[in-house]
Amino acid sequence: MNIVLVGNANVGKSVIFNALTKSYVTVSNYPGTTVDISKGITKLGAQPFTVYDTPGINSLIVHSEDEKVTRDILSKSDIACVVQVADSKNLKRSLVLTLELLELGLPLVLNLNMSDEARGRGISIDVKKLSQKLGIDIIETVAVTGEGVPKLKEAILKAKAAHPLKVSATASFDEIASLRKKNQKIEELLRDVLRISKPKAKSISEFVGSLTVGPITGIPILIVVLFAMYLFVGRLAAVWGVDFFENTIFGSYINPFLSNIIDRFIPVPVVKEFLMGQYGIISMAVTYAFAIIFPIVTAFFLFFGILEDSGYLPRLSVLSDKVFRIIGLNGRAILPMVLGLGCGTMATLTSRILETKKERILVSIILTLAIPCSAQLGVIMAMLSQFSLRAFLLWFSTILFAIVTIGFLSSKLVPGKRSPFIQELPPMRFPQIINIIVKTGARLKWYLKEAVPLFILGTSVLFVSDKIGLLNLIERVLSPLIVAWLHLPKETTAAFIIGFLRRDYGAAGLYQLARAGALDKIQIFVSLIVITLFVPCIAQFFVTVKERGMKVALMIAGFVFLFAFLAGGIIDHLLRYLILVKGIAVL
Amino acid sequence: MDYNQKIEEALTIIWEEREKKISDKGAIVKRFLKAVNEDVSDSLLSEGFVLIEKDIIKFSNKGESKARDIIRRQRLAERLLMDVLELGRREVDSSACAFEHILSKEVEESICTLLGHPKECPHGLSIPPGECCEKTKGLIESIVIPLTRLKVAETGKIVYVLTRDHPQLHRLMSFGIVPGARIKLHQTKPSVIIQVEETQVALEEDIAKEIYIKKLS
Repeated sequence: MNIVLVGNANVGKSVIFNALTKSYVTVSNYPGTTVDISKGITKLGAQPFTVYDTPGINSLIVHSEDEKVTRDILSKSDIACVVQVADSKNLKRSLVLTLELLELGLPLVLNLNMSDEARGRGISIDVKKLSQKLGIDIIETVAVTGEGVPKLKEAILKAKAAHPLKVSATASFDEIASLRKKNQKIEELLRDVLRISKPKAKSISEFVGSLTVGPITGIPILIVVLFAMYLFVGRLAAVWGVDFFENTIFGSYINPFLSNIIDRFIPVPVVKEFLMGQYGIISMAVTYAFAIIFPIVTAFFLFFGILEDSGYLPRLSVLSDKVFRIIGLNGRAILPMVLGLGCGTMATLTSRILETKKERILVSIILTLAIPCSAQLGVIMAMLSQFSLRAFLLWFSTILFAIVTIGFLSSKLVPGKRSPFIQELPPMRFPQIINIIVKTGARLKWYLKEAVPLFILGTSVLFVSDKIGLLNLIERVLSPLIVAWLHLPKETTAAFIIGFLRRDYGAAGLYQLARAGALDKIQIFVSLIVITLFVPCIAQFFVTVKERGMKVALMIAGFVFLFAFLAGGIIDHLLRYLILVKGIAVL
Repeated sequence: MDYNQKIEEALTIIWEEREKKISDKGAIVKRFLKAVNEDVSDSLLSEGFVLIEKDIIKFSNKGESKARDIIRRQRLAERLLMDVLELGRREVDSSACAFEHILSKEVEESICTLLGHPKECPHGLSIPPGECCEKTKGLIESIVIPLTRLKVAETGKIVYVLTRDHPQLHRLMSFGIVPGARIKLHQTKPSVIIQVEETQVALEEDIAKEIYIKKLS
């Protein structure tokens, strides 16, 4: 038997899901956190149920792909109960969906979540009366604290097929007309149910919220946030954190301990080299994954989690709408882009929240081309922050320039149109520390599960190619590209090869080379530009194939590959000219 | 119903049929019979309002401009009754018909300005623009204005949403942006942000322009 959770965006379906199933799916404070179905198991009474968490919908008449996912699951057979999760402070809006769900005639429970926020705003709802009028059970909850969840479970078990409340008087399904009728019906339903006492003075959350999107205050706040992220991820974690993990934990304890054991118990030189050599599983894969990237992504996920839960991310769409219009998108596109800083794979899925096909393709191109993922970004910040903030800003503007030009050109080439910008802004909230920690933990677990096997695979490939001389051959074949065109040492070839598996792994390889003194400033900068613009990692590529189709994905990847090396070379020649010929200290 | 009223009614019918891409004489005469109890096509012809070729009935230039005036007044009257006086659909339909016959040119322009030069009647049919719409700047301040004309921190009540684009209208409605809803304008730059009940929504200017509101003090 199935239980399906549905509701408007950002009402807390995922929190309810976690509470019902005792599992964890990501919870944040912005519409569009969930873009795919999550499935979990729960036991109510003695009976096992499968619970589905779904992307938010405002109506069963859907416009974007994430909404379609939700509508499709409602046509599943064997639904024991549909639970509509609703935001108590937006009861009127929620009831539009309730009326539509009633028409489906499925067993329905209405869950009024965030009832604490509604009470705080002077909104009181006569639940009993509304429940009688609608003929379904209504349960109030505060899901983040677990208040009301046991009652919700009881109600789900008791839920019986709802009696459809007739609203569509005409047989024709004119959506607008039927919506008007629903709104009238809702006014009628709420007449003696909803009471709003005098609104109180502007709260702090509203005040902060308005500052973050204000015409004068918005941009300075954004710069402060970005700079704080640079300090936290790029300086604190990437320099101090990596140093601690690599030199203290791995350098002084783990590696000596392991090499001691290996020396003593594994006398075969090839195996020893496979574990601890130049391309060794432990010396390379495990060290990169745990010593270099792990501290960086931990810091990033912590910082990012705070941004997500505060409600700041959707506000960025207000600031960026005008810029995105140049490249054929609207402000909503900022969400997948910013999420791409976390992980391009997840972000490609989030492009579902965009309405038109053109917008989704454009976002996929930019995500593939120019948005570095957290691990890669951290490594890049660490490398650049070693010479100057100016170098970091130069890198940042180069990438931004690439996004705008390529975005602009592709918006002219990709057929279709831009959808207008309409974005709901959730209230600003103070992040709950426990959720940040749980979320960061879940993401780290996912990172390790996805990255470590690929790191090991990449290292094995390098090890074998090195042993049979293939690596040498590739280095020689690519030498015109890497050495002559980009002026990089041939050792960087290995970094680019593993970059095909994961870009952060490639970046980590460059990081090691830079620290070993094998790269000069210009070479570091150029190699970072190339690895940033480089092909998507394998996982992102597969998701792009799944979402956009093989043809589009291949075209994007091929273009990005050419563009990365082209742009890298041009920048290399430009920098060499400016620095070596003109003597201008650009970096 | 006197002769003039019958003629005006008949011209309205031809206009409405033309909006539905119908110019078939038979169908139009059928509506004449229903509305004014007689076939006035010969009178229309002798007055020089229409041209009749075989089974097709068409406006002459004279008839076109007269019909346009009548339609404009009728639909403006509907807007006035519905938006400002807030009468229901049924009262509007019955009173607007009588209204159109007594409006003078000056009164018509004042109403049009008052209503913010609306482009559509409550039924969603287009209102032919008059001279005042092109000049736009009137001495009378409009009661119904596009959202973008509201000042920050002012509140208003949504009167109608102009857009015909269904997904867009649907999205607005699902956020509670529906006629009758009270909104507060938070800011206009870099994007328009409004508050509807407890929901804050950011919109681009082009959308905000299509939301017409009545200012509340």
